[in-house]
Amino acid sequence: MTALTQAMKQTRRHFLQSAASSLVLPVLIDGYGAKAFARPSSFIQSLLGLADQNDRVLVIIQLQGGNDGLNTVIPLDQMGVYTSPGFRGNIAISEAKALKLKNYAGTGLHPAMTGMQQLFNDGKLSIVQGVSYPTPNFSHFRASDIWMTAVDADKTSASGWTGRYLDKRFPGYPNSYPTGKMPDPPALQIGYVTSTALLGPTDAMTIVLQNPDTFARLVGETPKDPLSTIPGYAGRQIEYIRQQQASSVRYAGQIKTAAGLGMNRAKYPDKNALGDQLKIIARLISGGLQTKVYYLTMGGFDNHANQVVATDTSTGTHANLLKILSDAVLAFQNDLTQLKVDDRVVGMTFSEFGRRAISNGSLGTDHGTSAPMFVFGNAIKSPLVGRNPNLSDLNNNNLKMQTDFRQVYAAILTDWLQTDADTETATLFKDFPVAPVFRQTVTALEPVVSDARLYPNPASAGVVLESEWLRQGVKSVQVTDLQGRFLSVQTSRPTPTTLQFTVANLPAGSYVLRVETAPGMLTKRMVVVH
Amino acid sequence: MALLDAYLKPLTADQVTFLLRRATFGPTAGQVREFTGQTASDILKKMLADQPAPNPPLDSATGKSFHDQPFDVVNAGKFTGYIKNWWANLMLNQPVSLLEKMTLFWSNHFVVTDVAVNDYRYVYQYNALLRHHALRNFKAFTIAITQDPAMLRFLNGNQNVAGTANENYARELQELFTIGRNGGYTEDDVRAAAKVLTGWTDTGYRSPASAAIGSTFRANRHDTSDKTFSPAYQNAVVKGRSGANAGIDELNDLLTIILRQAETPRYICRKLYRWFVNSDIPAEVETNFIQPLADLFQKGNFEIKPVLTALFQSQHFYDESLRGAVIKSPVDLVVGTFRFWGLQAPDAVANPTAFYQIGNYIYGRVKEQQQDLLNPPTVFGWTAYHQTGYYQQWINSTTLGLRGSFGDMVTTGALKLNGKPAVDVLAYVKNLSDPSDPARLVDELTGQLLAILPTQPQKDFLTDTILLGSIPRYEWTLEWNDYVRSPNVAAKKQAVQMKLTAFLQYIFRMAEFQVM
Repeated sequence: MTALTQAMKQTRRHFLQSAASSLVLPVLIDGYGAKAFARPSSFIQSLLGLADQNDRVLVIIQLQGGNDGLNTVIPLDQMGVYTSPGFRGNIAISEAKALKLKNYAGTGLHPAMTGMQQLFNDGKLSIVQGVSYPTPNFSHFRASDIWMTAVDADKTSASGWTGRYLDKRFPGYPNSYPTGKMPDPPALQIGYVTSTALLGPTDAMTIVLQNPDTFARLVGETPKDPLSTIPGYAGRQIEYIRQQQASSVRYAGQIKTAAGLGMNRAKYPDKNALGDQLKIIARLISGGLQTKVYYLTMGGFDNHANQVVATDTSTGTHANLLKILSDAVLAFQNDLTQLKVDDRVVGMTFSEFGRRAISNGSLGTDHGTSAPMFVFGNAIKSPLVGRNPNLSDLNNNNLKMQTDFRQVYAAILTDWLQTDADTETATLFKDFPVAPVFRQTVTALEPVVSDARLYPNPASAGVVLESEWLRQGVKSVQVTDLQGRFLSVQTSRPTPTTLQFTVANLPAGSYVLRVETAPGMLTKRMVVVH
Repeated sequence: MALLDAYLKPLTADQVTFLLRRATFGPTAGQVREFTGQTASDILKKMLADQPAPNPPLDSATGKSFHDQPFDVVNAGKFTGYIKNWWANLMLNQPVSLLEKMTLFWSNHFVVTDVAVNDYRYVYQYNALLRHHALRNFKAFTIAITQDPAMLRFLNGNQNVAGTANENYARELQELFTIGRNGGYTEDDVRAAAKVLTGWTDTGYRSPASAAIGSTFRANRHDTSDKTFSPAYQNAVVKGRSGANAGIDELNDLLTIILRQAETPRYICRKLYRWFVNSDIPAEVETNFIQPLADLFQKGNFEIKPVLTALFQSQHFYDESLRGAVIKSPVDLVVGTFRFWGLQAPDAVANPTAFYQIGNYIYGRVKEQQQDLLNPPTVFGWTAYHQTGYYQQWINSTTLGLRGSFGDMVTTGALKLNGKPAVDVLAYVKNLSDPSDPARLVDELTGQLLAILPTQPQKDFLTDTILLGSIPRYEWTLEWNDYVRSPNVAAKKQAVQMKLTAFLQYIFRMAEFQVM
């Protein structure tokens, strides 16, 4: 593609995106920042599909072990509960030490996360609060599998969400690849064992570089830690096999070429293994590798004991981990900016679960449920999705969920990778409302559509939305509470012009129903009483 | 230490594993337990015990044998495939015995390729001949293989007649089958031997009318002159003969001459050494191992069992520096992996479909990894046993990929053979001494799977990084116990199964897994 046509496509894409945005109706929300937008209509989606979008990249950082969300993102609006002795007084971060966030006085970051504070204040980091899924699992392995395969807690799948997405995007991989259009691996993981998230329906959709040393050997640089050598005959054979293995990494030539063309401009922190890996990724992206997904893993978050130092809770194991993460991500983002590829890259972190709201007696925390996710990059539109977890409203000492993790995946797939709705649904096994990470926060009331009726209202068990527009089919359904949290409700279609919601499980309160149909958006306020 | 002296101590589990990996297509964990504590001498008696001749391959469509029928040109390709699949299954189902690995050794020694011979009945008979003689007498074996119809065709012995000798077999008999290219024989010796061998031909080749195949000696095509050999053979003369027994009598004389040369048993013993022990033969091993083994072979009238017994119970064989010196051949890798996990081919009569499904899967893998059964690339055999680099010849970026994907395939449980997952990781791990302890699990698993035992830091890495993904070890214990309590809850099962699968796939791709 010539530079000119590339530029034309860019322009076309930007036009289409802003066109899509302008069609979206703002929705009622209070001042907390979590906002819902309609998914662009299929018409707009098909227009978007015309533009060549193969330059967008996703970087996934898995935080293994269950990151303690409550000591990562600090609920400055509830410090009384948070620091109380019966809650997590032994490990709480003090208000004085917590890092402040621009425009969001009620929320802070762990003091080790100066890098991510800077990104947040620059509008390049989104914190999605309270992410989990219904009936959360407390097993590391099972919970990781749920997150990576994107299934309901009572379902299993042998393929991962990213793998399914890539399989749809690059059908026939690996047998029919490389192609002229896709000469590079769909995904590149740095790690020892292929992540479940990257398993496609039949094949792993990734190539795996074991560690930065493997990369170094591959591109002809000196590895930092040469493998321990085995003496004698066996050593000779093993050395030979290892050498063959390094040179036979699939796509070795492509990776070498990209590494040769690419570079790093920013300074990365020393002794930061995550930074070392992100540095490779920045180099490969800047070198033109067309890989869509990069996957990294950082371990060590399972801190049942001594996650803080008793004398200074802002230090200790957890602080060290967060510093590594935050410093590495900042350096990476700076590098992308200086390399002028920052518009093409978005990163996200996830962990299999958060930790118990109430700390244990060993200066640690046990397995919990919901926790914040981070999404970073220039494309961020909502710095904060959702609100601080309500520390006075726990479920068995666990934080309640606000956003299903698959809503964040839906945001990545739809708004970032710009998959069509069918692919997104197939990838996530069902349709999820999109978390507004990449959509502008608005606070205005949406004009109420007059030809729709909602009854009974207030409701306690079921409520029916009636509109002629429903005849042409329902594209998406969203129910949010006044904090902007998405809620999952069951729906049915008793007649062609009605949509029935089961609200018996919703807590009493006010909600907004938003139903997208072909003619337009139906939006109604609903009150639930019990 | 005299290298060939017998190692008399009871064998440890590691030594038993080593012995069975090298001398057979690999043990199961149960076989290792069974033989641990026995001496090499005891175990070898079992490994060399006579085995009944296997039932011939059957046509799965009819359930009938086809090697003893007239040639069927339509089904020739299918029948050739059956023979290869059938042989793969013999290797898989072999009890603790040297027989099939020696049969494979001889197919790499007295090479015949099915492609050149192009009559599946010949190929079957050739393979049966290798098996029949594999552990018997080398001289009788060589006499038999010289008259084998497949060999007569493959090396043109059937075209070798008085007046217009074809020297092909006479040359390879010396260069490859007996004395070796360093035996000092001359071109005149090749010509003389060719004359000795005149008159033989095969019968029944691709005959659609006759089930009988074989070979015959045509006295009228035999060169009846005296054959005089060079000083390399002490100017020996094979007296020219005529009549029906001339061919066999002169062949017998010729082999007597060749086998009495000092180099002949050394050459065979070196080949055995490279097949079973190590490709490198330093001077010390040549002098103190190959030479005495060759002496034993020659003094024992070329009986094969005593040589194998001496080799596998020698002190040298258990020298730890030889661990991992051999890169697994594709057959070692594929058959060995399946044997380790307890996969067996079912009875061919009762379940022909599954029988051939398994044999065909194994055969497909070893073929793509460059070890086509009954079809070595040249008359020299597979390059891994004679060319510079030796076993490293098995390894290149393509075969490494295929080896890796084989491991991936068998560990996911997706590969179903005979209706069951080929490798049941959970069933296997459940039988370890304490699968709830991840360090012990890794210790035992690597001990059973890897010839080169990992160091403690490597084991810690395998446990903490590969198996557990940096989650603390006690979490595994909780997860495992959870699964054991509710083995039928899919989520709990998957939680541990996916970890174990990923772990095994990593192990299977380790360089250390490729050696034995």
